[in-house]
Amino acid sequence: MERPSQRGAVRRRVLIVDDEMINREILGNMLKDIYDVEFAENGKQAYEILCEDKDRYSLMLLDLLMPVMDGRTLLEMVRQDSVFDKMPIIVMTQESEAEVESIKAGAADFISKPYKRPEIILARCERIIDLYEQKTIISETERDPLTGLYSREFFFEYVRRIEQYALDISWNAVVIDIEHFHLINEIYGRKEGNVVLRKIADVIESHLDDIFGMACRIDADTFYACLSDNIDTEQFAEDIIRETEGISLTSARIRLRVGIYNNVDRNEPPETWFDHAKIACNHLRGDYANQVAYYDSELHKKQVYHERLISDIDDSIKNRDFIVYYQPKYAIQHDTPQLKSAEALIRWDHPELGMISPGDFIPLFEKNGLIQKLDRYVWEEACRQIGRWKDKFGITIPVSVNVSRIDIYEPDLEDCLFKILDDNGIQSSDLMLEITESAYADNAARLIEVIDHLRSEGFLIEMDDFGSGYSSLNMVTTLPIDVLKMDMKFVRNMLNDDKSLKLVELVMDIAKFLKVPVVAEGVEEQQQLDILRDMGCEVIQGYYFSKPVTSEEFETFIEKELERQHEQEGGDLK
Amino acid sequence: MITLDALREYGANVDEAIARCYGNEELYLKLVGMVFEEANFDRLKETIEAGDLDGAFEAAHALKGVLGNLSLTPMQTPATEITEHLRAKEDADYETLLKELFDQKDRLQQVIA
Repeated sequence: MERPSQRGAVRRRVLIVDDEMINREILGNMLKDIYDVEFAENGKQAYEILCEDKDRYSLMLLDLLMPVMDGRTLLEMVRQDSVFDKMPIIVMTQESEAEVESIKAGAADFISKPYKRPEIILARCERIIDLYEQKTIISETERDPLTGLYSREFFFEYVRRIEQYALDISWNAVVIDIEHFHLINEIYGRKEGNVVLRKIADVIESHLDDIFGMACRIDADTFYACLSDNIDTEQFAEDIIRETEGISLTSARIRLRVGIYNNVDRNEPPETWFDHAKIACNHLRGDYANQVAYYDSELHKKQVYHERLISDIDDSIKNRDFIVYYQPKYAIQHDTPQLKSAEALIRWDHPELGMISPGDFIPLFEKNGLIQKLDRYVWEEACRQIGRWKDKFGITIPVSVNVSRIDIYEPDLEDCLFKILDDNGIQSSDLMLEITESAYADNAARLIEVIDHLRSEGFLIEMDDFGSGYSSLNMVTTLPIDVLKMDMKFVRNMLNDDKSLKLVELVMDIAKFLKVPVVAEGVEEQQQLDILRDMGCEVIQGYYFSKPVTSEEFETFIEKELERQHEQEGGDLK
Repeated sequence: MITLDALREYGANVDEAIARCYGNEELYLKLVGMVFEEANFDRLKETIEAGDLDGAFEAAHALKGVLGNLSLTPMQTPATEITEHLRAKEDADYETLLKELFDQKDRLQQVIA
C-alpha cells in the first residue's frame, strides 16, 4: 500500500506569493497540472489567506522582495507559529546571499530566478511536500499522546539507530512498572490513572534532560528507558522511585518496580535487552522489601533453564521422562490404618538434566499454560495404573490427580476424562480430582458449574491446599466439594506452633460444618497422627506412612493392605 | 502580432523562455505582451531621478526578475546592471543604462507591432 501520491487523486494546494503577475503566471503554469494553485500578491495578503484555513496549503512559494509586507517578514511570522509547522516554504530568490538567509530563517528550500526548467522546480516542490508530509506523520505518531514519551515502535527504531551510530557507547536497559496500577484506575478512576502516568513520565523525562537516553511507554503502565553507559542506573532508579512516591493527588500510593539490565549484550536486538530487564522487574512481584532488581547471570541462567524446560516438555512427554509417583493415603479412624487411596505426583527424570524437582517446573508450566499437557499425561498414567492394579490385585485403589485452573475452562474436560476412564476400564469414582484453592478465586460461577457437573458424573472433588490463603469462607460454603485437603504447612508446624495447631482445629471445624472429610497432608510423626485422629481427621498422607514411590514400590502397600483385609476377615470369622 | 520569430530576431532567448513556460508558446507570447503594462519601468525612472536609491533598487530588482523569466535578454542585461549598481549603492551612469533599457523596450514594441 502506498501513501496517497501527489500525482494521484488527492491534489495538494500550493500558495504562490509574488507581487509580479508575470512571475506568478509562469510558476502557476508549471504547477497547475499537479497542484491546485492559488496566489497572493504580497506578504500581508498571503498571511490573511493562510490564517483563514491553517491546514489548507501543502506548500508556499514565497518571493522575498514585495511591497506592503515583504517575504522575509512573512517567513518569520509563519515559522514562529507552530500551527504552520506542517507547511514547508520555498523561497524564490535572485541572490545566493538571500538563499542562505532564507534557509536560516526556516525556509525548506529555495528556487532561484530566472526559474530553471519546470521539471526541476516540480521535482523540488514534490520532494519538499513529501518530506513534510512524512515528517508530520512521524511527529504525530512517534509520541505516546498521553505522556509525550516515545511510542513503542519509534522508541525501538531510535534505539536501534543510535546503537548503530554510537558503537563506542554501551547501553543500559531499564524497565519501570507500576505496582497494582489497575487498582489505581479502578479505585480512583481512569482520569487519576492518567494523571499518575503523565507525572511518572514527567519525572522520567526530567532525568533524561541531563543524560543521554530516551524513554517510551508500553502496555499502559510500563515504561522503558534506554540510558547510555555513563549513567548510574541504580541512582536513576532510586531517584525515579523517590520522586514518584507522592505524585498522586488522591491518597493512591504509587509504588514502582524497576528492572535493570546494565551493559546490555549488543549482539542481541534491543527488544531482548528490555525483555531481560522486564524479567528482573517481574521478579520483584510480591517482594515487599525491594523495588529494584537487576538482570544478572543468575537470573539469566534461570531464564535459560526455564526456556530449556519449556522447549523439552513435549519430547519428555513423548519419551515418558515424566514419571508418576504415588503417595498412599490411609484411613486412620480404626485401630489399624487402612490403605484408602493414593495421590499421583509427577517427577521429571530429564535425560540430560537428571531429576527435576516439581517445584522447578510446575509453577513455570502453571504460568504459561503448559501444565495442561502435563495434567492430561498424569490422568492417563494414573488411570492406566488403577486399571493395572485392579487386574493384578482385584481391588481398586482410587487415585487423586491434579486439575489445574486452566483445565477447568477447557470445554472438552469431561470428554477427555471419560475417554481415559473408558480406555482403562475404570469408573469416574475411581479418580479423585484435586482442585487447588487458587483456582477458586478466578471465575467462581463457571467453576461451580463445572464442578457440579463433574460430581453429577460421579467424580470426587477434593479441595487441595485448603487454608493456604485464597478462598473466602463464603466461597467454601457455596462450593460443592467432597473432601478438604488441609494445607501441609499447618500439619508441619502444629507440634511446635500454637497458631498452626489452632488453624488445624479451625479447618477441622469448617469440614465438620460442611460435612466433608479432611485429608491431612505432610504427616510425619505419630504425635501428629494422634492429635489429628482425635480431632476427627479421617485420612492421612505423609512420610509417616511413606514418601511418594514408584508404581512398583507402591504394590507393597497394596499387598500389605490385602493381607490386612485377609487377616481382618479371618479375625471376623473367629 | 507577436511572433516567436520576431522575438528571436529581437534577441530574446525564446527556447529557454518557452521551456520555462512548460512549452506553452501562447502563454509566453501573452506574458511578453504584458511587459508593457509593467509599472516598475516608470517607477525605476522616477526613483532614480528623485535620488531614491532604495526604491530604485526594488523596482530594478523586480524588473530584472520578470525580464529574466521571459528571457528578454536585450532588456534583462541593462536591468541586471542597474540592479547590481543599486545594490552596491554605487554612483553609476544610471542615465545611460536607463536609456538603454527604455530603448530596448521601445525596440521590442516595434518588433511586435
